[in-house]
Amino acid sequence: MTPRWQLETTGLIYGEESRATVVEPVGRLTRLFENGRALSLGLTLDAITGASPTGALPTGQVVTTTSASGHTTTSSADATPTHPFQDFRGAVDLGWEEPLGTLVNATTSAHYSQEKDYASLGGGLKTSVDLLNRRFTLTVGGGVNRDRVFPVGGTAQGLASDTAARIPGDNPKQVVTGLVGLSHVMSRRWLMGVTASQARETGYLTDPYKVISLVDPVTQLPVAQVTEKRPSERKRADVLGSSVYHLEHDILYVNYRYYWDDWGVRSHTVDVKVRHDLSETSWLQPHVRLYGQSPAQFYVFGLTHGPPLPEFASADERLGPLRTATVGATYGFHVPGSPGEFTVRGEYILQWLVGQSAPQAANTTVGGNGLRGAAQAAGDDQGGGGRPFGTNIGSLLIGYTVAF
Amino acid sequence: MNTRRWLLAALLLAGLGISGCATVHPWDRDLLAKKSMRFVPLPHETAVDDHIYFSKEGSTGGMDAAGGGCGCN
Amino acid sequence: MASPCEVLVDTDDDAAAGAALVAAREEALRIERKFSRYRADNIVHAINHSEGRPVEVDEETAGLLDYAATCHDISDGRFDITSGVLRRVWTFDGGEQRPDATAIARALELVGWSRVTWRERVLTLPAGMEIDLGGIGKEYAVDRAAAEVAKATDAAFLANFGGDLLASGSRRGGRPWLVGVDDPARTGAAQVMRIELTRGALATSGDARRYVIVDGHRLGHILDPRTGWPVAVAPRSVTVMAATCTEAGTLATLAILRGADAAPFLEAHGVQHWVVA
Repeated sequence: MTPRWQLETTGLIYGEESRATVVEPVGRLTRLFENGRALSLGLTLDAITGASPTGALPTGQVVTTTSASGHTTTSSADATPTHPFQDFRGAVDLGWEEPLGTLVNATTSAHYSQEKDYASLGGGLKTSVDLLNRRFTLTVGGGVNRDRVFPVGGTAQGLASDTAARIPGDNPKQVVTGLVGLSHVMSRRWLMGVTASQARETGYLTDPYKVISLVDPVTQLPVAQVTEKRPSERKRADVLGSSVYHLEHDILYVNYRYYWDDWGVRSHTVDVKVRHDLSETSWLQPHVRLYGQSPAQFYVFGLTHGPPLPEFASADERLGPLRTATVGATYGFHVPGSPGEFTVRGEYILQWLVGQSAPQAANTTVGGNGLRGAAQAAGDDQGGGGRPFGTNIGSLLIGYTVAF
Repeated sequence: MNTRRWLLAALLLAGLGISGCATVHPWDRDLLAKKSMRFVPLPHETAVDDHIYFSKEGSTGGMDAAGGGCGCN
Repeated sequence: MASPCEVLVDTDDDAAAGAALVAAREEALRIERKFSRYRADNIVHAINHSEGRPVEVDEETAGLLDYAATCHDISDGRFDITSGVLRRVWTFDGGEQRPDATAIARALELVGWSRVTWRERVLTLPAGMEIDLGGIGKEYAVDRAAAEVAKATDAAFLANFGGDLLASGSRRGGRPWLVGVDDPARTGAAQVMRIELTRGALATSGDARRYVIVDGHRLGHILDPRTGWPVAVAPRSVTVMAATCTEAGTLATLAILRGADAAPFLEAHGVQHWVVA
């Protein structure tokens, strides 16, 4: 009997070293009808706790000040300054798939998600057409998101002191996306595809919690912070090439994506997976992903205290010269006697920024001669420097899919 | 700059078309019929990955048109 | 103590750091309660309201009074814990002032450690006079809190109470603590230089923040108890390094009290110092 229902459940447990921990259960239930029509309902819950980098500079060493006025500034040591946070997000999506004739398939979807400081509502439409004896498939799709950002405590004024008054109220953000894809059956064993997509974002695109360190020009140490500010428009585009090739026994999946946008961010992603059947009912799929990104034009590690601030600036490492390397494997198996398939995936992600990290500073050891000592000693001794930004992430993903 | 990138896309597309001169008969679609012979063999994993990389990196896209939004990038 | 007090502990052991911080805080609060002149229930209050009667003090207070007496001697009377009375005559709000010579003279009658009888743990303060341990209290608190932290953990630490600090030793990996010297012109927002400290105390005394204008001249807020007037030509800030915070703080204060003579005074004492004019 053809199955009428399909259930996919997934549980993610994800942990960043000294940073965030995420637990995310996902469920999707699909009701299949005759003629290939299908209705699917998905639910995602996200619980995130931990710490997120603020964008402020790690100083490389503990810094505190001595002063007559009682004003002291202390920044912590090698670790990137972070702020603790806790958030809970719920998302629901609905999709309807409808074949139009034998060669055309249309999918309509809508979704809503809500968290403490962000709400997103969106919908999309995707159509695919099989051409030339089903050798080619052309896909065209588009979507719109209308989001609202309402940071906790109000919205900070961009590039202002992080203690300045905050503006209450919502900030809208709109995203319009479009994609075009063509896939081609190259041979009996080989499927290839190219997809190009574009997106245009307008509205509030700044991260409401990130700051930028202002560094004293003499001592090169952070003395103040300002909030970040990003432009209110972003045009993104990317091209994705995919290949699925069936070897003797294994299947090789290779993806390459080139991305660029008008903020100056450009990236390359290479993703390789190999599916290897261990038996009739179990398989192993190792996976490697490499990613490299060049920074946004207005990305800075820190700004100098004194000169006027630029129009836009962000120290958010996600807009910086970032590299990500992922290694992992999925083990899939059927439990004999019961329907459905289990998958267990363990992955390790390493992320780092290239380039300048902790500031190089003029150095005066005790015994210096007052102000003149500092100027004379200006130079290269970084006193141990700081560790460059980096995160280690481990994740465990458990899935279960069953049709009934 | 932009034209160079779209040219890249067009080239990939053309490459797709040109090298695909081999005829694939219906009886040759045994392997292709397998559930694992798709661009996204494990959709539930890819959906989670899209979310993870969307919140940890500056790029988007590659898969779906109307993905969900969240306050993470 | 009217300023943020911090203790930085270089360790991965959360529990040890927590214990150290609690110990430091308890000690700092104890000292504040005991020596603050704003409280009505401590030894300082008892002394200031003794109406000329002798007061016997405990060992810790005696130690501080002995120290104050020594400072008074070596500074030729410039350092005087009875000079607090003069604050009634001056308001350091940055405004114009024409101080009343009679008022100053009357206040000066109630100022002067030489009028005090201090012998064998008994202090006799003439009626109307007051003592104020604020000048040495904070630095003393740093030293005492540091002693408590050292009992609670072996890790290297730095205690910073409102800009007066003490480092117990170098951090892990032999690295020093980096201490910036606050720029008095832009206090809290800029630093004039950076000092690498492994062990020792740093205290800064300064005259930049509060001031008064007399006859068009800008005068700082540190008063010379011998004349009742602010010290002339004091540097904007003086930072001194010594083995204990009390010592560093006293030397910094004494240097400021010497006005233009600050740097030679410190050089004569052979201590590391930085003067921001």
